[in-house]
Amino acid sequence: MHSIHPTNGKTARRDVLKIVKERDVRFVRLSFVDILGISKNVTIPVSELERALDGKITFDGGSIDGFVRGEEADMMLLPDLATFAIYPWTANGHTEARIICDIATPDGEPFEGCPRTTLRRAIEDAGDVLTGVQSGLEVEFYLFDVDASGQPTTLSNDVGSYFDINENDRGETARLEIVMALESMGFAVASAHHEHGAGQHEIDIKEIGPLGAADALITIRTVAKHIAARHSLHATFMPKPTESLAGSGVHVYFALPASGDAPLEAGELGSDALFAIGGLLRHAPAFTAICNPTVNSYKRLVAAWDAPIYTVWSHRSANALVRVPTAEDARTRLEVRSADPSCNPYLAMTVLLASAADGIRSHALPGDPLVGSTYDLNDRERERRRIRTLPKSMRQALIELDADPIVRGALGDHIYHAFRDAKTAEYERYRRAVHPWEREAYLRVY
Amino acid sequence: MIDTAVMSNDELVDFAEALARIASTGGGPKALAAGLATLIDAAVLVEDAEWRHVALAGASARSVPPTSRDLIATATKDGSEGPIVLRTPGDTVPGLAVRIRGGDAQLGWLSVFPVGVPADGRVGALRLAAAAIAVELSRDAGGGKNRRKSFWDRLISRAYDDPIEAKDDATARGIALAANYVAVAIEAEGLEEAVATVKMGELRKIALESLRTGAGDTIVLERGGGFVFLCPAPMDVDAQNVRTAATLITRSATKVHFGAKIVGGVGRAAEAINAYRTVDEARESMFIARRLFGGSRVMPYDDLGVYPLLLRGGATQIELRAFCDRILAPLRAYDEKHQTELIRTLRLYFDVGQNVKTAAAELSVHRHTVFYRLRQIAEISGHDLDSAHDQLTLRTAMAIDALNSSDQR
Repeated sequence: MHSIHPTNGKTARRDVLKIVKERDVRFVRLSFVDILGISKNVTIPVSELERALDGKITFDGGSIDGFVRGEEADMMLLPDLATFAIYPWTANGHTEARIICDIATPDGEPFEGCPRTTLRRAIEDAGDVLTGVQSGLEVEFYLFDVDASGQPTTLSNDVGSYFDINENDRGETARLEIVMALESMGFAVASAHHEHGAGQHEIDIKEIGPLGAADALITIRTVAKHIAARHSLHATFMPKPTESLAGSGVHVYFALPASGDAPLEAGELGSDALFAIGGLLRHAPAFTAICNPTVNSYKRLVAAWDAPIYTVWSHRSANALVRVPTAEDARTRLEVRSADPSCNPYLAMTVLLASAADGIRSHALPGDPLVGSTYDLNDRERERRRIRTLPKSMRQALIELDADPIVRGALGDHIYHAFRDAKTAEYERYRRAVHPWEREAYLRVY
Repeated sequence: MIDTAVMSNDELVDFAEALARIASTGGGPKALAAGLATLIDAAVLVEDAEWRHVALAGASARSVPPTSRDLIATATKDGSEGPIVLRTPGDTVPGLAVRIRGGDAQLGWLSVFPVGVPADGRVGALRLAAAAIAVELSRDAGGGKNRRKSFWDRLISRAYDDPIEAKDDATARGIALAANYVAVAIEAEGLEEAVATVKMGELRKIALESLRTGAGDTIVLERGGGFVFLCPAPMDVDAQNVRTAATLITRSATKVHFGAKIVGGVGRAAEAINAYRTVDEARESMFIARRLFGGSRVMPYDDLGVYPLLLRGGATQIELRAFCDRILAPLRAYDEKHQTELIRTLRLYFDVGQNVKTAAAELSVHRHTVFYRLRQIAEISGHDLDSAHDQLTLRTAMAIDALNSSDQR
């Protein structure tokens, strides 16, 4: 993200080595994510960089959740030079860089359990109907205080709400620093502001390719946690940290190129945009497991704070699943509002692209846009419009995922099964746990 | 009813005459089956060669399987061509089935399930009935396609008074009726005679591709110089999607360089028995689109506001009230629910010659509030206040509302 030329391997490699030398980089973090979207990295001294760029750095994939079976544990890291960036901080005085990597099998083949490779495949698969699609992100998160022992709390000295300015707010200072850090790493930030909840913030990333957008979310999570810690704050991307505050979501924009058919009248949508919306609504119950992958995600998907709960689209309703704001140019922007920042962004982008592409291929129309709040829809209206409710629990979301061959197919067998196994086990742990609410409600009564 | 087990020749002749009388009055397979059921005191099931239900009669007297397919398959392992004995579990009197043949072609099966006396002695009557039904089934050369088409022609021409009669006839012709339909009328303009047939084939293909909304099979009827497509729309969302899909037809045509102007209209959803209404509305919409809007476009009836009323002329008070309610209902509902004044704002806005400043003064609100309300009105009503067409519709609805109101100005 330092003017690297991703399409020209030799030039890109030369540029990376030059920047590393000029900036006196001492360590390079070879970064990747596991199936759950958790960032992992292998740190190498800069002396090993050329070997890394040759794709000769391996790691033990058997130790990563959901990656590989024991007998094929060694995996190779293939750095994507377009993601090279220098961290805007030093580690013990040493400059560090990072490169996001794809994962390959020992014989150099793309690893089917690699989320980033899966997204690459999804982009390629959707190419026949979604050529040139761009993606933007709006990422919400909380900056909470830490206690005297450095442990995160759910408290904040910030009492702001939407777009508030509070110059004495440490959160505001930290947010600005996060934005500067992201820009220095090559991400174009469109805006940043205080969100609804006390301590809640939002950072909006300008449209880039879907792969770049997924890289951006991974980077934001890393950068925000690092900078928050420097301000004695804790950045959390947990979807619903407390019951009384608004949940944190990720709004994913897709900017569709003009479809090339007859010119559109004011406010009119192209056929591909309509079909893409139809596809997104059709597959929403199934892609929820991927876009909202924790048991906590479903505490956010309730009829409050404009969280989407139904498969509806609208031009203006803030709680519709898909919103289509007024176009600023010839492109149409679709905003998918259900995902949350605990998702694996590569897999989330994969299932969203596959859903939109399926809609275009199958000419899936979405019905009329909703006017007003989705929360006002009664059972009869929902039935007549065939509006479905998003899953209300992770268990239900997994059942919907099981039933949708398009979404499952986009993930591929390896990731589908590994994800499902991990989430089924997670849900079972949650189900068996006795939660504070239960003690509060029952301990004295029974 | 015949009491003896075996029918005499005279009785067979009488029955043949009865069948002929039924056929000559246009009774069809259902009436023939009913005649046989009465004669031999049995339930009678007629199925076509694809095991589609054609007719059922006398079923109130005893239970009848949904199809004879499995019973016949079990009983004809020896490949016998004669009457087949059907043994249904739990019934002491076996049934009988005979083939319905037209020349060498097997057109279907006639199965009888007697109530009391076994049907062995009435095979002659069965064969006569099967022959009469064969004539009916093969009357339309090529089988079901023409029979189905004639049903839609009859439906659109209001030949059925009773929904049950229409449904039964549809079933007899192998048609599963949807609850509601939306009609789309389409014509191509300015086609040269030499290429007209080919281009009309292309148009049909383009339209069918666009109207493939997944709610069922679309019916195509040729009308005038174009087509009427009857699209199943069991739910509101299906009707919405047909409307959207129809408006996309011109774009699809542009994509494939169709090269001629396309004009069309879309009716509102109507119950199957009232399918003629949606067809009429679609054709009216097409006419209005051609006369008032120009260009290559397909216009939904819902978007035409007051024009259909003007086109028909002599609208009744009921029709005027219905139009007014349809246009203003969303605004009225919003006002009631949110305690707002959208209807009053709209009325004042028109009364003061669309002067926002004056309207604001009359309403005792800031002019930005009027602008905000006008945007709300446009969004909720689906009518653009900057469009002359939409303004005419809203003004007419407001005028009808005022004329029917007890309020004095």
